[in-house]
Amino acid sequence: MTPLYLYALLGTEPPPGRWRGLDGEPLRFVRVAGLVLAAGPMSRAPGPSLSTLRRHDAVVRRLAGAVPAVLPARFGALVTDRAALAELIAPQAATLRRALAQVAGREQMTLRLYGSARRGEGEAATFFPSGRGFPSGRGFPSGRGLPAGPGTRYLTSRSAATLRAQPDLARLRRTLAGLVRAERIEPSQTPPLLGSVYHLVDRGQRRAYQRALRRVTCQLADLRVVPSGPWSPYAFAPEPGD
Amino acid sequence: MKRATRMKSARPRRRSERRRLAARDQSLLDLVDNVLSKGVVVSGELLLGLANVDLIYLRLTALLCAADRVSPAARGWRGGRAALTR
Repeated sequence: MTPLYLYALLGTEPPPGRWRGLDGEPLRFVRVAGLVLAAGPMSRAPGPSLSTLRRHDAVVRRLAGAVPAVLPARFGALVTDRAALAELIAPQAATLRRALAQVAGREQMTLRLYGSARRGEGEAATFFPSGRGFPSGRGFPSGRGLPAGPGTRYLTSRSAATLRAQPDLARLRRTLAGLVRAERIEPSQTPPLLGSVYHLVDRGQRRAYQRALRRVTCQLADLRVVPSGPWSPYAFAPEPGD
Repeated sequence: MKRATRMKSARPRRRSERRRLAARDQSLLDLVDNVLSKGVVVSGELLLGLANVDLIYLRLTALLCAADRVSPAARGWRGGRAALTR
């Protein structure tokens, strides 16, 4: 039995076509509890290089262009066979279906926020020393594949709330509110990057979002905003433990 | 005179090339951030062959922080000049 490499969860199966994975392998669409899993047979997981990351993303983008709802899988998910894949996904099916409903017809825009942290804003840095403090990745604020404990979740949410209260960010969020369907704010503990904001916007609203963003960023005093997108909604996949 | 004209025409091109490169760098950082640290996790135990991903991710964090200092696109955004990248 050949292991399967997972690319994405889909709301519906894409129209028949020549669907290929990052190594050119033919994609299979596995149905599990009302979800469609797009996976390709692969003997071992691809190594993380820019080329493989790009190709993984390209496969997800092609799928997103063919179906309204796509939840990308995190790079590197290889399971032993079809039955194991189904067994792993089934317990999370309800959560994943809700997430798929949320991202249907939508795409992700990303904003990196740069500036200087004021006194008190970086207080959680004591508890989240990004980098060497977490060699295993356990408890990393962005959720690195392992469920965060309650303490980590509390500190992360407190840190996000502090960032959210930043006047420039509040202004930016007010301006974009009409276009944003869902939002994730991820504080950074390593200035000058203050954090990242992930917005879920309706497909077709990208230009309006860009225009609104341009208008507001020219007026910000303390915050520098670097946008990118549209992306497949990577940041709106449920975190482990959700 | 001819040389001056050539120099004038070369400058904007270099600037736009720099901006394009910077936008691409930023886009690469976003790509790595999205694909490596976001998305559906099937199971921590069955993620295979990724022993060095955490290390890459930690380096990425440092790169994202540095992007503001090295990227003309990032600096130009407040003037409304930078384009969204992907």
